[in-house]
Parts: sequence; C-alpha cells; structure tokens
Amino acid sequence: MSLLSAIAAQIRDDLKAIPEAVADWYHKSRYKLDLYRRGKIGFPQLVAPVVSSLGALVLVAGLMFPVYWIALAALSGEGASLYSSSGFRVVPDGFNPLLLVTEGDLWMGMDLSAFVWVIGDVVIPSLRVSIPFTDLSVVTSETTLFRAADYGVENPSDFTTYAWNSLTVAIPTVIMAMIVIVPASYALSRREFLMRKKVLYGYILFTQVGGGLGLAMLIAVFAIFAGLDLTNSKFALAVYYAAMAVPFNTWLLKTFMDSIPPSYEEAAVMDGAPPWRVVWEIILPLSKAGLAAVFIFVFLAGWMEFIVAQTVLRPENYTLPVGLFALIDEYSVPWARFSAFALTFAAPVMFVYLFAQRYIESGLSFGGMEG
Amino acid sequence: MATTDVAQHVREYELPRWLSDNLALFLVLPGLFFFLSFVAIPLVYLIGLSFTDAALSTMFQDAPGLWGTVFGEADFVGFANYAELLSDSQFYRSFGITWLFVATSVVGKVLLGVGIAMVLTHHWVRGKRLMRALVILPMGLPNIFTITIWRGAFSSAQFGLANQLLAFFGIGPIAWFSDRWLAFFTYNVTEMWLAYPFLVIITVSALQNVPTELHEAAKVDGAGFLSRFQHVTMPAIKRPVMFASILTAAASFQQFLIPFIFNRGGPARANELVLLYGYREAFEFREFGEGSAIMLTAVAIIGLFMIVAATKGDLAEGAH
Repeated sequence: MSLLSAIAAQIRDDLKAIPEAVADWYHKSRYKLDLYRRGKIGFPQLVAPVVSSLGALVLVAGLMFPVYWIALAALSGEGASLYSSSGFRVVPDGFNPLLLVTEGDLWMGMDLSAFVWVIGDVVIPSLRVSIPFTDLSVVTSETTLFRAADYGVENPSDFTTYAWNSLTVAIPTVIMAMIVIVPASYALSRREFLMRKKVLYGYILFTQVGGGLGLAMLIAVFAIFAGLDLTNSKFALAVYYAAMAVPFNTWLLKTFMDSIPPSYEEAAVMDGAPPWRVVWEIILPLSKAGLAAVFIFVFLAGWMEFIVAQTVLRPENYTLPVGLFALIDEYSVPWARFSAFALTFAAPVMFVYLFAQRYIESGLSFGGMEG
Repeated sequence: MATTDVAQHVREYELPRWLSDNLALFLVLPGLFFFLSFVAIPLVYLIGLSFTDAALSTMFQDAPGLWGTVFGEADFVGFANYAELLSDSQFYRSFGITWLFVATSVVGKVLLGVGIAMVLTHHWVRGKRLMRALVILPMGLPNIFTITIWRGAFSSAQFGLANQLLAFFGIGPIAWFSDRWLAFFTYNVTEMWLAYPFLVIITVSALQNVPTELHEAAKVDGAGFLSRFQHVTMPAIKRPVMFASILTAAASFQQFLIPFIFNRGGPARANELVLLYGYREAFEFREFGEGSAIMLTAVAIIGLFMIVAATKGDLAEGAH
C-alpha cells in the first residue's frame, strides 16, 4: 500500500502547489510593484512577467486544446449539437454551475448520457457458493447496481467486454514478464559476468531506437502464430507482449536497483546471510517502488497495444484499443459517444502512467533515462 | 579426516572457474532467450519468406517435407521479390515520402519542443513547474487514443476541430485526407503533438544545467537575445537535442499508426510510410513474400539508425 499512500501524498503536494504558486506570484508581483513605485525598475520590467506568463498560459492551453475539445464533445450527450455548424463553445451544452446550488445537481447540468452508453449496465452476477462438508450452497441473486435503460440509453457499448479482454491479456503478460525481468535486473545490477554490458547495451538500443522492429517482424510473427493455430488466442498475444516488454523493463528495474546503496547488502553478508536471503530480504523490499513501476509499465503495454492485437484477434476477443478503432469507422456512432469511449479508455491510463513516471523519478536520481 | 582433506574435497567439487564467475548469467538468459525468440526467430523466418512467393493461398497449406512444413506450398523464387521491388514505383514513392516525413517532422518536433522548453524555463514566466507538468500530459496518453482524436480533429465534416477553426476565418470545410499534401501535413501535426513532450523534458533538463550567471554575464556585456541564444543556450543544449533528434528521427521513420488510422496511407497510396507499405502488401494485398522483402529493407534502415545512435549518442551512459 506504500504505492497508494505515495500517490495520495503526491496528489496532496500537487494540490498544495497550486495555491502556493498563486501566493508566490502575488508576493513577487507586489515586490515588483513596490520597486516600480520607488522608481527602481521601469514600466517594461514591471509588465514583462505578466505578459510572458500570460503568453505561456496561452501556449499551454493551445497545446492541451485537443484533449479539452474531446472532453467537451463527450459531455455533449447525444452529440447532435456537434454535427451542426453552430460554431464553437467553451463549455459543454447546458453547463451551468449555479445548478449545483439551486438544484443540488452534482454535474451542473452537463449531459452524461454518452458515458452511460459506454459503461452500460453494471450488474453483479449471481454467485453460487458451496459450503464445504455439507450439501448446502448459497446462491446470491443477481444485483443490478446501474441500469443504462433508466437513463434513456439503449444498446450500450461493448466497453466492458473489451475491458475484460484487455484485462485477461494484460494479467498473464505481467506475470510472465515479471518472472524473467526481476532476476535478470538483479544480475545486471549487482553481478559481473560475461556479456553483461553487451546485453544491457542491446536492451537500451532496442528500447530507444527499435520501437518498430516488432512491427517489421509482424508478418513473420503472424505467419508463425497462424501456423501454430494461435491466432485469436489471447494467451499467445500475452506471451508476445511479455517478451517485447523485457528489454525496457529489465533496464528500468536494473537502474532502480543501482540506486540501492550496496552497504545494506555488505552488512547482511557480514552477518552471514546467504545470497538468496540478501535478495529476498534486502534487494526486493527496497526495490518495491521499482517493482511497482515495472508492473504498471508491463500491464499498460498489454492494455494499450493496438497493431498486433488488431492483426491477430477476431471481434469476440477485441481488446480496448481495437474496440476503440472499430468504433471510428462506424458512422452510426455519434461523435459524443466515441469521445466518451476514448476518454474512459485513456484517462485512467494517463493518470496511472504519469504517477508511475513521477514515482520513479522521486524514488531515485534516474541516470541514463535521458541518454 | 583432517581439515586440509576437507578443503581439498570441497575444492574438487567446486564448479569450474569460468562457470562460477559467470553464474549470474543464468539469471539473465531466460529473459534474453524469451525476448530473442520473438525477434530472432521471426527475423530468420522473415528472411526465408522474402525469398518465396508466399501468398495467403499458398502459405498456410500443408505440404510434405521440411520446406512444406515451414513455408507451405510457397515456392523458392530467389531474389525475384527484391527485383520486383526495385521495379515497383510504389517502393520509391513510399521511401521518398517516408524520408520526407522524417525530415519535416523532425524539424517540426525539435522546433516545437525546444521552443516550449525555452518558454517554460524563462525567468519571466510564473508557475513554470505547473505548466511543465501540464504540458507533458500527451506522453501519458495511449497512442491509439491520441491518433484517433486527431483523426476526429481533422475530420472532413464541419464539426472537425480544424474545420471549425477555418470556419472562424471564413474558409469553407476542407477534406483533409483527400489531398496528398494536406494529409501529409496532418501527419506532421499529429507526430509533433505526440513527440514534443519527450523533447521538452530533455531540453528543459539541459537548460536547467546552464548557470544563470552565464546569462547575466552575457547580458552585462550587452549581448542581445539572439547572440545569447547562440553563445550561451545553444552550446548547452546542442548535444542532448542532437541525440534526441536521432531518436525521434528513428521514431518518425517507424511511424505506422498515424497513416494507418488517418486514411491508410492514402489518398491512392501516396502517403504510405514504409512500415505501412509492407503491412498492406502482406495483409491487404496478400503478398507475404513481397511484404517480407519490404520489411527487411526497413529493418536494415532501423539497424542503421541503431548504429548511428550508438556511435553518436550517450547510450552507453545507461549501460555502466
């Protein structure tokens, strides 16, 4: 749970940073204003920070605009309004913060039906639990937590099916990859052996330059899969993802383990601990953060991969990215629903990825990441 | 038994020295073999396929013998696929547009990335850290999400973001993907948006290593913005940005998703970047042999990129 608490601490820090930045800005501005009044600096020096900060804000807003645009589209309900040429809006249709106060409407009048369409019905299936040593069994009834039809949405999307497929691909990927990554990164970090540098170098080279190599091999991989009758197999896909995840994540975990001071191990060895105990009781617990990050990166690799999945899988096994792509060519799907689908897929990934990224960076001085 | 005998005994059963010195290699080998089996075996198979006339109808048929098991009913045709490529105008068109894309998109990415980094490290700008955290958000988004969103933004319909922007200036809706160079332009814009966070991160960390005293001293000496950029900023960021450009050029060369999702390299195959060309040749036109030959050409160029990156860059810094 240290990962969760670290994330909570980071969110706290981030939220604290916003008022701090405002306060800092206020103080500096007052200081500048004071200097200007006393004639120490001229008018250009007074307004330069204001103008350039505003310019930077405009730049950042411009860069982020496509994301905002998609969020806007997703919140426009049935999306009919976006097909019309009514021009541009800065806030979603019907958005009115006053509704929060007057009607207690938490969503302030925004239309969430596109998201309802994405999620669909939320149902806890009926479970049959046998009580051991007796013939009795308990059957729970099916519970519907949320019914899309109640909100006027018929035929919800296949999002949950796709998500389930993605999950059943990503979990075996993580398990297989971790089994080979953890021992290898320990050896690369702490031991000296033949070809050590060459292996490491090859991994880094593949990670940074060879992103498309897997794609170039796709014809052969597909032919091999087809020859072994493994197309449309989620497990075969997971094996492939796990293999492709080895170079980057071994290197990442190795870099992380490098930052653990060797004095801990030396102390344990002096006390007579055998090598496996040093690994089990010192290295692994101390590299928990690195393990968590590698876990996340491997999981996301399986969760987000598109090209191979699209080539190999058939519709009943589509993962989320393939499902997203299948939507875009269906012109019957309104843009609002497509946006909501895309956002529901991407937003959690983005938060998890960025937190993993910062979690690593805060955990160590990350040498070699940029080079 | 005397103590010396025991020591003798133990020594005799010790592993050979070369083995005990390299025992840790066995921790690395499983991962290495696992990885290589999905790179080396397909590579060998790809080389084999490129010398056959494998097509969907022949490749997956069972035929007797070792050749039949591996390649089905496909026949060995020698260098015919390569000869055909050299006489295929699509091959030259695809490579031409790919290198043009590498050139234009790298220039765009570097200018945008360095520009943003310079704005967001400038001492006049307040709230730099928050803005920097915000501006690298695209890095966390799944590629497939980003690219489908940009496809929507360049939608030919009136509600597309780009067309709404043009409507603001009174220009009618444009069918972005139906014109060769307009489509090429949209590829570049999307690639720039995908890759700028990487360049911003690298440039910002390089810029932060420049001591502010240097800028102050240059200012005192009366250097203007341009000459400060040339003599203080440039030397500091040149090496990291050069290296990042090599990496990002390799990424541009291997771009597949943007043309695939936007319009399948259209219109009329004009914008088929090389990986997409090989992919379509194999999976859409069912010419697996020719597709393999194209992919091998791409692999050779990716190998060249790797050599350049390894000799020019600081890759070895990570491998100590």
